[in-house]
Amino acid sequence: MTFRIRQIEITATGREIVRDRDVSTDTIAIGRSTENDIHLPDLAVEARHATMALHSGGRLEVAATGSLGFVRDGVDTRSAVIDSRGGAELGFGTYRVTVSQDTDGAVLLTVRQTDSAATRSGDLEEKRRFSLQGVLPGKRMVSWGLGLLILLAFLAVPIISHATRDPDSKKGVIGDASWNPGGLSLAHRSLSDRCETCHVKAFVSVRDETCRTCHKDVHDHADPQRLALARGNMPLGDRILWSVAHAFGKKGPGACQDCHIEHQGPTRLDAPSQKFCSDCHVRLKSNLPDTRLGNAGDFGKLHPQFTPAVVTDAMTRKRTPVSLDDAPRQDDGLAFSHKLHLDPLGGVARMAANIGAERGYRPGGLQCQNCHHKTEDGVRFKPVQMERDCEACHSLAYDKVGGIFRKLHHGDVNQLIADLSARDYHPSLPAGTNRERPGQYAPGGLYSFNYSAPAWHGLQLRGALSKDGICGECHRPTTINGKLGVVPVTQPMRYMEHGWFDHAAHKQEKCESCHAAKTSTMSSDLLLPGIKDCRTCHVGESSAAKDKVVSSCAMCHGYHTTAIGSEKRKPMATKIAL
Amino acid sequence: MATVQKSGVPESGRGANREYQSSHEGFLRHRGFRWMKIATALCVIAIAAYFLTDPKPRPSGSTWVGYTLGTIGALLIVWLSLLGIRKRAITEGRWSLKAWTSAHVYLGLSLIVVATLHTGFQFGWNVHTLAYALMMLVILSGLFGIWAYSTLPSALSTNREQMTQGQMIDAIRALDRQLNDAAQPLERAQSDLVIAALDEDPFGAGLLRRLSGHYPQCATQAAIMGLAGEHDAASERVEKLLVRRKAQLERLRRQMRLKAMLEVWLYVHVPATMALLAALTAHIISVFYYW
Repeated sequence: MTFRIRQIEITATGREIVRDRDVSTDTIAIGRSTENDIHLPDLAVEARHATMALHSGGRLEVAATGSLGFVRDGVDTRSAVIDSRGGAELGFGTYRVTVSQDTDGAVLLTVRQTDSAATRSGDLEEKRRFSLQGVLPGKRMVSWGLGLLILLAFLAVPIISHATRDPDSKKGVIGDASWNPGGLSLAHRSLSDRCETCHVKAFVSVRDETCRTCHKDVHDHADPQRLALARGNMPLGDRILWSVAHAFGKKGPGACQDCHIEHQGPTRLDAPSQKFCSDCHVRLKSNLPDTRLGNAGDFGKLHPQFTPAVVTDAMTRKRTPVSLDDAPRQDDGLAFSHKLHLDPLGGVARMAANIGAERGYRPGGLQCQNCHHKTEDGVRFKPVQMERDCEACHSLAYDKVGGIFRKLHHGDVNQLIADLSARDYHPSLPAGTNRERPGQYAPGGLYSFNYSAPAWHGLQLRGALSKDGICGECHRPTTINGKLGVVPVTQPMRYMEHGWFDHAAHKQEKCESCHAAKTSTMSSDLLLPGIKDCRTCHVGESSAAKDKVVSSCAMCHGYHTTAIGSEKRKPMATKIAL
Repeated sequence: MATVQKSGVPESGRGANREYQSSHEGFLRHRGFRWMKIATALCVIAIAAYFLTDPKPRPSGSTWVGYTLGTIGALLIVWLSLLGIRKRAITEGRWSLKAWTSAHVYLGLSLIVVATLHTGFQFGWNVHTLAYALMMLVILSGLFGIWAYSTLPSALSTNREQMTQGQMIDAIRALDRQLNDAAQPLERAQSDLVIAALDEDPFGAGLLRRLSGHYPQCATQAAIMGLAGEHDAASERVEKLLVRRKAQLERLRRQMRLKAMLEVWLYVHVPATMALLAALTAHIISVFYYW
């Protein structure tokens, strides 16, 4: 039972001094005081730090005797059992004791002092290697790199390019495509690469003047002063929002871009929502007391009754706006009954059936489209023409010469007078009466009977222009400037000049759904539907009804061109899901 | 984790009835989830503002709701970024670092709602969407960080088994020294295996190896396999030492893996935050530049 204690010391020159001594005992003591078998002069080692007992088979039992433990193979402990053949390394303060077995079976304890105190506290540099610091590029470097790269590419390049560009050059600003928050509208798509066309000055919002460089003939909705009055006292929320907008240099309200909001993708810019109209029109009466318009905020909820321009004096063709609520009558100069003409069991239907397909008449009687013809675009209807639409039944023939019927010229009273006064016209001989019955039935024969038939003595000038004459059937005879004539007929193509109605968009509906023609006996009946009829299908934007057509103001009204604009308008290809 | 005795109960005379409670409250549950409630309220207000207004022609960043949400979002982002500066001063109280961190986490999460509504769901290949994408990257990496900080420290503690990181290294060093001595009698081929094992830097692994914890080309394992057939005393002693080294190495690698997971999200979170601040600056300036 021998411990061989090998003490290795290093001289100032770095030379190792190795001293071996054998201790023949079962137990040795380790500590700072000199009576220990292994004397370790380190303040971190206790006076009597540990004992080491050798058992059979080279088994070594180490136990701390004081309050401090020791290190075995790098781990703190207070006791350890070591197989000296397998070996171990013990640490006491700055001293390291390596346990092994010498060739002669003695337990070899190699004692050496490690050179630094870092073994106690641990090497900070070494600990740092547990982290990712050395594995990944530094956070700070990557942060600054990425940040600067983004600032350079997405800020510095476009700004410098914009500031230094030649305004006359056709090249756009470099890199500003990355600033585009959304696609331009269909009309402006060609400007997609030329941001500076509209964004003329840096940090200055797009101005109306810039829009007007292209849109030169855009009308204002109304006089600017009246517009400002109509806007009136905005609600507090709007006022606050506008004061913020003005603080950031926005113009308006009423600037082009307030309604025509760009960068919303490839959409149409010309149909802004009803909110832009209702802002003023919902309280127009109070803000602008002299207006003739009623308040309007939403077609389904707040919209005045229609006021068509009705002909109120046939002679002067004067037209007066009258609300449909006031049961207006028109004076169009005509004497006409829709009911008479549309009755499927009446004489008109019978006559139309006789004439038949030659004029497009069907057996069921006259249809609306037999007389009312659509315009080319289908938006509205052409005026009824006598020759085309009436004459099939209402013949103007008055004479027959050699198989040719002579006809009066419709609409020309002087010509009528001339025709009927002409020398070659003999109204006493009715056209086509020169045939005689044969044999005994002939005049003078046995069966001949000379009864006085209600003979028609031909078209007489004096009767034609009377109430019961050929003209009086449809017209109201009168005297104009001392001459015979008829009251002029006015057929308005449009009753509502400030609105827009597209018949083509309503072709799935029957005419009588809106126009009560079948019950109208007078031509003074105004067969226009009121707002109530429209509202059976149309509602305003604020409605959530799914079975209705959500209709903004722009569906029927123009903004810049309230008076004439609708004339230019193209039919809407709106898909309507009902 | 500190434990304190419940106040007002004298220790003497209570014997085994002494009660202990934990005084620790993590940054997630700070003050009864105060910041979670505030952040939720912010989200609810933002959602209500978004859905109760009907901007025309469609919701976007340029409506008044959009500008308001954008301003809130931008201020939040700047404030959240300041945690990087604030964390270097650890204080207590109402505005303690813990309170700040709690607010950072929950207000950061509320940005998902605030910023998404600010976009009006309009996205494109532009600097505006870049800023949004970077913000989402920062938030997602932060979410990973929350998960890591709430689960990994206990795993880290379990793995250490009262060893310090320094001791883990020391243990391997001690075994290495013994291996160096014990391997002296070995033949060339076996010696080379031991040299390869000793030369292998335990910290030499890259990011993926550290995160996965798989080391298929471990030289210590190779040396163990190489010495398995030898039966002389020296070889067996070396093999035993190698097996102990392997066990210590595995503990160290687990430690590295957990540490890597604790840290890796910050390598995304921090640079992405700086990139976000840059993109946010570009986003705001560009909007006003082309106003």
